[in-house]
Amino acid sequence: MWRPRLPLRHRMLLPLVGLLAAVLAWPALFALWVSLHDYRLTRLRDVRFVGLDHYRALLFDPVFLNAMANTLHFVLAAVALELLLGLGLALALHRLRTGRHLARALVLVPMFVTPIAVGLMFRFLLNPQLGVVPYLLGRLGITVDWFGPGLALWSLILIDVWQWTPFMVLMLLAGLEALPRAPFEAARVDGASPWRIFTRITLPLLRPVVLVALVIRGLDAFKVFEYVYAITRGGPGDSTETVQFLIYKVGFRFFRMGEASAMAWLLLLVTLALTVLLWHLLRRREA
Amino acid sequence: MPRPATLLTGLVVLLALASVLFPFLWIALASLRPPHLVARPDLLWVAPDPANWRAVLFESDVPRYILNSLLVGTVTVAVALLVGAPAAYSLSRWRTGGAGTRFAILAAEMMPPAVVIVPLFLILWHLQLTNSLVAVVLAHLTFVLPVVTWFLVGFVDDLPRELEEQAMIDGHTRFTAFLRVVLPAIRPGIGAAAVFGFVLSWNDMFYALVLTGGASRTLPVAIAGYWTFRGIEMGKMAAAILVAVVPVTLAAFFLQKHLVRGLGGGAVKT
Repeated sequence: MWRPRLPLRHRMLLPLVGLLAAVLAWPALFALWVSLHDYRLTRLRDVRFVGLDHYRALLFDPVFLNAMANTLHFVLAAVALELLLGLGLALALHRLRTGRHLARALVLVPMFVTPIAVGLMFRFLLNPQLGVVPYLLGRLGITVDWFGPGLALWSLILIDVWQWTPFMVLMLLAGLEALPRAPFEAARVDGASPWRIFTRITLPLLRPVVLVALVIRGLDAFKVFEYVYAITRGGPGDSTETVQFLIYKVGFRFFRMGEASAMAWLLLLVTLALTVLLWHLLRRREA
Repeated sequence: MPRPATLLTGLVVLLALASVLFPFLWIALASLRPPHLVARPDLLWVAPDPANWRAVLFESDVPRYILNSLLVGTVTVAVALLVGAPAAYSLSRWRTGGAGTRFAILAAEMMPPAVVIVPLFLILWHLQLTNSLVAVVLAHLTFVLPVVTWFLVGFVDDLPRELEEQAMIDGHTRFTAFLRVVLPAIRPGIGAAAVFGFVLSWNDMFYALVLTGGASRTLPVAIAGYWTFRGIEMGKMAAAILVAVVPVTLAAFFLQKHLVRGLGGGAVKT
């Protein structure tokens, strides 16, 4: 009789490991190899090893540094706003007596919409000539150039906030609904003010949910691409060029695969470092 | 309860609902305007005209792109479930590989697409598989597979071990107990994971933009093609956007209940 050499638990896991290795790990390592070469799709006969040259050049390349700065700005501002608004909205929904389920279901809708559609919708809504928002603001005597030089990145942040605050609401509301009742009743008996209950009991108990939500949302925000592609294409100037968009441009418009891969690996290292940092910051205070 | 606080609660919720719903409403109205009136924000109401919808649904290639997206999403999810469900069981019941494996799956979920897109493109280019749906399915597996597995781990965690133990006493092997008892018991979780994985695949544009072209484009890539803002295209764009948005929105209503459990995976108990 044929006897399997591997225990069942390994055999059940193996297809996953194999497939992830094939579609993720191997490409990632291939990308590392490409990043060490002068690899252009237009000159495949002439691929030369250049060592860490791409990385060295990128660290002093104003175009890349600008894209990295834009991306960090975008991620920090968007995620911070989403957390604050999401917390406020989750608390409001949690207090709602009637229609809570319907209200929550409607509030969550934006997070399920494809980002390219969201980008195009807002491009239409905010367009200075055709858009309804500038028209209505104009009636009030306010003119805002949403995608002009100073404001474009903030407009993209605003769009991200519109789409992803619902995610924070989803996580935080679930966290609020799962909180134990006893500490709140004890505090109320002791005559604690609502604000004190919120800062001393609610927030500390919510910390694990906040941590998971921040990590998931933060890492996701680094991938911002569709809004840029749909609306600004990096402009005006280079004020909204994000790393993901720059990689797309260098890799698939200019076909300089070596440089694009080096940028991708630097992006991976930055996001990894920030995740570990955030994890430790929030974990330590918990202990 | 003090009145001002209640009033504030209601106001906040109403404001949130208005800002969520207004863009959809305006796009829906725009899609029903005759082409020459789409770019007139000063008109609040225009008699509905189905011209844009007729053009998008019957006189363009949009139905083909819908079919492409459906096909890619379905195949991706099927593969992900087939591979992810046994893995999730192994991870949940035996903690195979310890905390490291769970972390690796989460890390895989979070891998910036930019890291894998260049090599995926090159590999598929050498195999002459770009501009085909196979390429997109492989690319979508990079994020759908970890998410689906992560979802299912949480749902298996919630299942009492006594369930399989009892089945094994009744004569099942561990594996048949998994097939006949565990899988049916987590059916809602499998459904939620499948819908969520499908939504992620349906919504992706970055991979599809690089890996497809012409007839193999998926719906989001095709929508991006309406970006040329010549007034005449905008009503069609609005209709195409709604075509992409509405099915996913309906799926979302079904999903919500399970979404938090799934996203939290092994990390958040609710």
